[in-house]
Amino acid sequence: MIMHQVLDCIDAGTEYCPCFLAETGDCIMCSQLQGREFCDCQNWKGVCIYQEYVWNGSKIKEQRKDHLCRIISKRQITEGVVLCRIKVSTTLARELNQPGAYVFLRNVNEPGYFDTPMSVMAADGREGTIDIVIHTKGTKTKALVFNSGEFYLRGPYWNGILGLKYIKGLRNSRVLLIARGVGQSPVVNVARKLLAAGNEAIIILDKGRLGINIAEEYLREMPCEIVNKQVLDLNSLEIPKDTVEYIQEVAAKRQISLIYSGGTEKLHEGIVKIIDSLEGNIMFACSNNAKFCCGEGICGSCQIRLQDGSRIRTCKTQINPREIFRGR
Amino acid sequence: MAKVVIIGGGWSGCAAAISAKKAGADVTVLEKTDLLLGLGNVGGIMRNNGRYTAAEEICFLGARELIDITDQVARHKNIDFPGHQHASLYDVIKVEPIVRKKLREMGINILFETRAIDVKMTCAEITGVLTAKEEWIEGDVFIETTGSTGPMGNCLRYGNGCSMCILRCPAFGPRVSISQRAGVEDILGQRGDDSYGAMSGSCKLSKESLSKELVDKLNEKGVLVLPVLPEDINMGKLELKVCQQYALKEYAENLVLLDTGYAKLMTSFYPLEKLRRIPGLEYARYDDPYAGGKGNSIRYLSMAPRSNTLKVKGLSNLLCAGEKSGLFVGHTEAIATGSLAGHNSVRLYLGMPLLELPRSIAVGDIIAYTNEMTRDPEGIKNRYTFSGGKYFARMKEKSLYTINIELIKKRIDRMGMLNIYDEKLI
Repeated sequence: MIMHQVLDCIDAGTEYCPCFLAETGDCIMCSQLQGREFCDCQNWKGVCIYQEYVWNGSKIKEQRKDHLCRIISKRQITEGVVLCRIKVSTTLARELNQPGAYVFLRNVNEPGYFDTPMSVMAADGREGTIDIVIHTKGTKTKALVFNSGEFYLRGPYWNGILGLKYIKGLRNSRVLLIARGVGQSPVVNVARKLLAAGNEAIIILDKGRLGINIAEEYLREMPCEIVNKQVLDLNSLEIPKDTVEYIQEVAAKRQISLIYSGGTEKLHEGIVKIIDSLEGNIMFACSNNAKFCCGEGICGSCQIRLQDGSRIRTCKTQINPREIFRGR
Repeated sequence: MAKVVIIGGGWSGCAAAISAKKAGADVTVLEKTDLLLGLGNVGGIMRNNGRYTAAEEICFLGARELIDITDQVARHKNIDFPGHQHASLYDVIKVEPIVRKKLREMGINILFETRAIDVKMTCAEITGVLTAKEEWIEGDVFIETTGSTGPMGNCLRYGNGCSMCILRCPAFGPRVSISQRAGVEDILGQRGDDSYGAMSGSCKLSKESLSKELVDKLNEKGVLVLPVLPEDINMGKLELKVCQQYALKEYAENLVLLDTGYAKLMTSFYPLEKLRRIPGLEYARYDDPYAGGKGNSIRYLSMAPRSNTLKVKGLSNLLCAGEKSGLFVGHTEAIATGSLAGHNSVRLYLGMPLLELPRSIAVGDIIAYTNEMTRDPEGIKNRYTFSGGKYFARMKEKSLYTINIELIKKRIDRMGMLNIYDEKLI
């Protein structure tokens, strides 16, 4: 099947748009802000970015700031895994109450390069809190967990999931959400959003190497069907045969419209293969696993190469995720 | 069966749909908004000057349907206004539903709110167009009638910004140049000062906002000429205009209002404060563009190189019509080019030689002449219409202009082209 790259910017039309990329002629969306002199506006987000730029005095909008915040509770779920509740403003919590939401966190005593991208598992817009799960693996995550006191939080960011428009656009359908290990963290907001839009959700959880389902206590409060199953073999890094068959059966019998994969790239690749083996047009969304460093499309750490040789910065770019796994 | 996909449901897209359907194709029109006719929803002027000849030629060639509709819903027939004779003004409020019904009755498939954003190709052949909803629409032959107006970024860079015109880009998304997406560079119209594009030439005032006396007069005569206050006369503004047939001194010294259902104000834009100083316009407000006090849409930034058969050069199965096919102004010009492109789409599918209209009739001559002018560095600064400016002068010079219907019929008949668009080819 010939596919097409439809590149969207997650920030297009938000209060942060136009951003630094517009100033340097690298806007993801707007041909006029890519140094061309005429509109070639394939992806319309309801706002003319060029107009926003010119009307703002040919300057970019004010960008995201560091917010000073406190971790109000820390709970060790299992070894090396800590669930933190962070106090933020109600506005920020509301803005982060979205599938794909993430923030950068660092202790106030650490330098800027300790900024750690953390997926928001749940956000309470009334209380002004967000919950995040920190898996202590390296210097940055250890510094977050072992330090106390105040933190700098930079956000909101939203591109933690690719294929967001399929999640946000789906109504009254049936979905299959698959999440493994720390990849379970963003699935909570995905499930909440889909259920709120009248969809039915079947959720397969795999503890992965953590040995615990970190999202389960959140998901248990939602009207969804939870199935525990191993979705990735720890040795072969492939989806076990019985899980493949289970997914194929559920997708066909329950008329699944969308499958979400939350886990490693290997899991995403395996799920795309299963979707390809199925009839019908099942939409695919997945966690965005690129290494985020600045979140602003500047540093390039999240850059990936597509099959046609073009490169995209995935901290800001929304793309049909099948484009990424095509040909792998 | 030949599947013809028409991108853009303005006057030229509708005309192309009708002639392609009559020639035997299965026709689908993709329209990005919820209305057909595009800027035709705020147009209205037919049969003025050489457009009379052209309208009759179009009818005798067999594409009478849309001309008949505009005649049918004319609020005024055979009126004169500065520089223009025997015009008829169709009711812009009534015309779209009638055209929509006509197309549906003919079995033409119209997909509204369907914005084409890209193409897929095999060599130089387009095999499908992608919609903003990520659906592929496949076809054998494609006709691009996306026009050349906007979108917002162009209206800002080359004009006074989005003035909220009937195309409603913010609501339905901007036009995308399909030929450019297929790898054929757009040609750009210029102004006298070498900048690009030109500004649409009229605004529409809500009739209810005019004084009763003016409305009564406008309804009765179809035209009103109101002197502009001496301190407000601005000759420079004529330079900006698309419509050279109205770029006359009379249009700077006067406000010319035409009754098209709205009070059509024959100027690109006019500051509201100044407008309201004119007796009878104290309560005036704009219906199109909503910001008619500030600016108007920018056009002619997206033309495709094409032959006189309207096939786009460099692509094997794309035709074009309307403003996409040259620096044309007006509905009659759109219908003239659209009808030919629609008819030729079926010829192209069948491998038949494409029809080229002879230069002995106005419709054929303008298509060929505009093509020449589009390649000319000076020609690209002009606009071409049967109704005035350089081309109407040429029509008179070449004796193409006539209002003698029998003579027009004889000219078409002599070439064996009477009702040629009625011929079912498949």
